Amino acid sequence: MPGSIEVRGLSRTFHTTVRRPGLAGTLRSLVNPERVAKHAVSDITFDVAPGELLALLGPNGAGKSTTIKMLTGILTPTSGEARVAGVVPYQERERNARNIGAVFGQRTQLWWDLPVRESFSILRDIYEVPKAEHAARLAEFDAILELSTFWDTRVRHLSLGQRVRCDLAAALLHDPPVVFLDEPTIGMDVVVKEQVREFLRHQVEERGRTVLLTTHDMTEVERLAERVVLINHGRLVLDGSLDEIRRKFGSTWQVRATFADAHAEVEPLPGIAVLRKDGPQVVFGPDGPDAPTVHQALKAVIERYEVTGVAIDEADLEDVMRAAYVHAEAV
Amino acid sequence: MNAVRIAWRVTRLNFRAQLEYRTEFLLMIAIGAIWQVSVIVFATVLLTRFTGMGGWDSSEVLLIPATRMLAHGLFVLFLGRVHGSGRQIQEGRIDIYLTRPMPVHRQLQLEFFPTNAIGDLTVAVGLMAGALSRSQLDWTPGRISYLVAAVIGGMFLEAALFTAVASAGLRYPAADYWSRWLEELLGTFGSYPLNVLPKAVGGLLTYGLPLAFVAYFPAAVLTGHGHDTGVPYWLAALSPLVGVAAYLGSRVLWRWSLRHYAGIGG
Repeated sequence: MPGSIEVRGLSRTFHTTVRRPGLAGTLRSLVNPERVAKHAVSDITFDVAPGELLALLGPNGAGKSTTIKMLTGILTPTSGEARVAGVVPYQERERNARNIGAVFGQRTQLWWDLPVRESFSILRDIYEVPKAEHAARLAEFDAILELSTFWDTRVRHLSLGQRVRCDLAAALLHDPPVVFLDEPTIGMDVVVKEQVREFLRHQVEERGRTVLLTTHDMTEVERLAERVVLINHGRLVLDGSLDEIRRKFGSTWQVRATFADAHAEVEPLPGIAVLRKDGPQVVFGPDGPDAPTVHQALKAVIERYEVTGVAIDEADLEDVMRAAYVHAEAV
Repeated sequence: MNAVRIAWRVTRLNFRAQLEYRTEFLLMIAIGAIWQVSVIVFATVLLTRFTGMGGWDSSEVLLIPATRMLAHGLFVLFLGRVHGSGRQIQEGRIDIYLTRPMPVHRQLQLEFFPTNAIGDLTVAVGLMAGALSRSQLDWTPGRISYLVAAVIGGMFLEAALFTAVASAGLRYPAADYWSRWLEELLGTFGSYPLNVLPKAVGGLLTYGLPLAFVAYFPAAVLTGHGHDTGVPYWLAALSPLVGVAAYLGSRVLWRWSLRHYAGIGG
């Protein structure tokens, strides 16, 4: 299907040689090397619908980049199957390349010694984009990314933020239905990050592009993604909407209430536990899998007790993901 | 046709970009020429101190480094970016090439303009002019055509050797060191009639690393020493074709290695 990504049981194993400790061990490894298999990605299955932005998350070394490399045709999987806009990327690399745009935050796809605009026009020739279409698209990108202020500069003289904005434009100039972004905003300042996010939102909402994004920036996930896939040690451990993940791992809220009567009897409420009591200060927290949301808990506390002040601490997405990672490690 | 147009356009833009850094541009040309200083010294010593070598007179011997240098200069100009591809692999540039609808090998060649090739070719053309002016041979159209074919074949053979090393580099990045050794080897032994070397070394440079096919065998055929090379005359005479065949083989190896590319990191 145009614009969709289908991943079925995808695995990639790398074989490396283990060096034994000490000089004798090193010499033994030289004569009789011990090969070990490292399963970078193991049997992962997920789909991305056309026009959807999916965040592929996981700690460093989880297998995110390897997954993206298989979907962009850079690596061939050890087993399993993937289709990107109906094309098997590692079997028809050049055909797949016409359907996708890719940005690797730490590498540029532009010609280092050339002014950015020259790189754009070379890419126009490579992808055989009509001149008028190319000019119109460039103008559209310029309106959000403000490229024209530096697009006559050589790539080697650009700042990181400028360079990545140019890379984003370069990846989308041929109008690909599917876009892969591997940590696109790494190392950027907040202003440029926001500009990039706005650009991505525009590309998904207005242009209907399918985007697969990896990032460690949870603000980015919160602002852009509705659905996340979490992988750890190469395995898919979670696939769901942000709300579902919050419900599952984000119930780490606390309601801190100041009671009018410091000696009032405090009893647990359904799904709400009393964590601490210190004079008039009482701290409530979630109790069990059916705990209410922080707002429901706040309402319940206010209705049940006479309080003079309340404050809430809610876990942000970073805490939620940390909890999810810890859960994944334990599984 | 579009591929040729793109290649020409990128080359033109890259060349123009290098021209804009004038000092860097001139330095690169100088480096290209200075790099060949050992060949220039060899040619000077040969002409001023010796009457010949291994049964060849000096003017005949001079044809060997001249052919090799010209082939090398053309290799650097047209196909030389494959030498040093290890850096492109380490920097993840190969990953970027794989996401574009264009052959990776072509993108590698179009990454930058090899300004040092101008220096290489300047020395090579000077050396060839010197070799031809001292030559006692009757330069018939047949001999001239064979010399041209030998230079082109030599270019392809050098490209084949470096492409084979680059193919290994796609799987084992440390293989890049071999390309430095190879360059050293070509520079050291490429200018001699190999019959002056011990048989084992000559055999290695014929059947192991087929350096002899770059310039020694073609020069032997041109100067009438073709029957004294230690290989059948027909094989020595077919050197230009050996270069082309080796290059085609190396490109098959490159494609196979690219399919098994494991990338760097993540």
